[in-house]
Amino acid sequence: MMKHAIRKEVLEIIRDGRFRWGGALVLGLLLLSLVAGWAHRAEVSRAHSAAQEMSWSHWLEQGEKNPHSAAHYGIYVFKPVSSLTLVDQGVDPYLGVSTWLEAHYQNPFAHRPVQDTPALARFADLTAATTLQLLLPLLIVLLAFQSFTGERERGTLRQVLSLGVPAGRLALGKVTGVCVALGLLLVPAALLGALALFTAGPGGGAVADPGVRFILLAGAYLAYFLIFSVLAVGISAVASSSRAALAILLVFWIGNGLLAPRLASDVARSQVELPSAQEFQQAIQEDLTEGFGPHPSRDERRAMLQDSVLQAHGVESLEELPFNFAGFSLQSGEEFANLVFDRRFGELAARIEAQSQLHRWIGLGAPHLAIRSLSMALAGTDAAHHERFSSAAEEHRRLIQRVLNEDIMENGVYGETYVAGLDLWSDVPEFEYQGPPVAWAMAGQGAAWGALGLWLILGALLAGRGAVSLRRRT
Amino acid sequence: MLQARNLSKSYNGTAALQDLNLEIAAGEIYCLLGANGAGKSTTIRLFLNFIDPTSGEALVDGLDVTREPLKTKHRLAYIPEQVMLYPHLSGMENLEYFAALAGHDDYPRSALEGFLVRSGLQADAHDQRVGEYSKGMRQKVGIAIALAKRAGALLLDEPTSGLDPEASSEFARLLMELRDDGVAILMATHDLFRAKEVGTRVGVMRRGVLRTEVDPAELDYADLERLYLDHVREGGDES
Repeated sequence: MMKHAIRKEVLEIIRDGRFRWGGALVLGLLLLSLVAGWAHRAEVSRAHSAAQEMSWSHWLEQGEKNPHSAAHYGIYVFKPVSSLTLVDQGVDPYLGVSTWLEAHYQNPFAHRPVQDTPALARFADLTAATTLQLLLPLLIVLLAFQSFTGERERGTLRQVLSLGVPAGRLALGKVTGVCVALGLLLVPAALLGALALFTAGPGGGAVADPGVRFILLAGAYLAYFLIFSVLAVGISAVASSSRAALAILLVFWIGNGLLAPRLASDVARSQVELPSAQEFQQAIQEDLTEGFGPHPSRDERRAMLQDSVLQAHGVESLEELPFNFAGFSLQSGEEFANLVFDRRFGELAARIEAQSQLHRWIGLGAPHLAIRSLSMALAGTDAAHHERFSSAAEEHRRLIQRVLNEDIMENGVYGETYVAGLDLWSDVPEFEYQGPPVAWAMAGQGAAWGALGLWLILGALLAGRGAVSLRRRT
Repeated sequence: MLQARNLSKSYNGTAALQDLNLEIAAGEIYCLLGANGAGKSTTIRLFLNFIDPTSGEALVDGLDVTREPLKTKHRLAYIPEQVMLYPHLSGMENLEYFAALAGHDDYPRSALEGFLVRSGLQADAHDQRVGEYSKGMRQKVGIAIALAKRAGALLLDEPTSGLDPEASSEFARLLMELRDDGVAILMATHDLFRAKEVGTRVGVMRRGVLRTEVDPAELDYADLERLYLDHVREGGDES
């Protein structure tokens, strides 16, 4: 029985002009966005590795100079672009993709594509993620809003109910029919997506487990579409007319896709405040010059450093030290600055994570927030992945400073100009980043998965209850 | 097979059906006559459990339709006044779908064709989309759906409206075949001529009350018409 019931729903949907046009449009947009995402990702990935290689070769070929000058010359590192970015670019365009590793300072990320686009263009960004998160649900609404109201208005419902079919099965047949019709669109898109993924190259270690991530990504989106399918069929079963069903579903679609993200950001922002870039830099500068907690100001630190190092080595002057004091002083300056950066950047990251967590909880109220969070996390483009890369880059910056300062300590002579050779530059290890495994990415996403599950259950209950109540309104 | 016991339905205190007592055995065709609003459709809707009775009970094979709504519906087939189908599907696909929902998902195509032919739908229309059908053609698919259900009882709500005289006469012959196969048939109709022709019993309703019951074999057509008019006119205006 189910086979025929599903077949009838699918036949009705695919013979309906709305599906043919709407489906062709959505499939076209989806394929286009995947291809565009693929091309964009390939180009960005190429540009990033080329830029990073160039920066590295400039580093190696910077000629003979003082190591501290080299430290100021610095290296650019770029966030590797995961192959899954072709599905979801996440926060990359907003948080930036590269940073400059130089002496004394943890630089904020730069190169934010969003800065180069007018505000309005953000709404027109065609990515697979927006197509999947916003347009596909709209197509589902259009396919399914009449599933029961249409039968009642056309008069077929009375005949169907005269047959003695359990109501739940009727609803199940309709939901499955919608899903099969969608599958006609999504299976080709998913295959193309998988193909694009495997031909996109390794992505410079942006994420580990890309295969598992892709499968989970597909699963999360399927759950999201299923939510819309059961909700649409359920609303159609309880609504008084097709018009009412469409109105209710469109209101939900707008609330879910357009209002909820805005609301969630506003709530997150008002609950957990982030400092402005200027305030943030100022706080760091203050910590560096004035000190913080038990740490005294820069001038005092300098005086104390000299005294303590002379005392420790039992000598009278800096020249008598067994190492070059200039290198030692630079390195201890780095180490104090690192404390400040750990404290300030750590606090910032904790606040961003608190906002994300708040987002995920608010996501219980709108499945779009949940799928967005999962999608970015699986694609490796969410704030947590960004933070992880940023920490790795900062660790590398500290490593470079230590290597260079130790060289000054060992080979320089206090009070004299010291110039290091090319060998030193290649003693600094090249930056290599290995992205996190999928388990790491999913660690904070329990609420998001829970939200999808919750909505699925709610929708199924609505569809089941609605179908049972149909009899009273034949 | 079909039984009504003191079956009553009222809407906001207005009686649509009052204390109907009726028994239709296998192999009987009971024709229910009456003006619009006399309670014929209400009776059929009560048997289908589309509405709950205010009091009394409707039984199919001894089972109360409110207590066993699925089981009783399995034993009933229903043809409404306007058979409504899925316009994007062909007549054949509509029949296949309804038959499958009714639990017969194993009919070969030849059997389905047989039902359509038996109900009088011309062969070249079987695979046309129903959107292009006339009302009479849709009605024939409705008849085929009822045949495919192989139910013990048939509920017909003015099933021949929209059929041309030839089709209507074919339908009457079909009903008599079903009767001979032992199907119990309850048919609400305005067509006195058909009622006289096929009915084993004829009941006349007015304002929710079954006024009289006759054996049409004992009357000629003119008698039946006079009887009908007497009962529906009794007590004055009836629209």
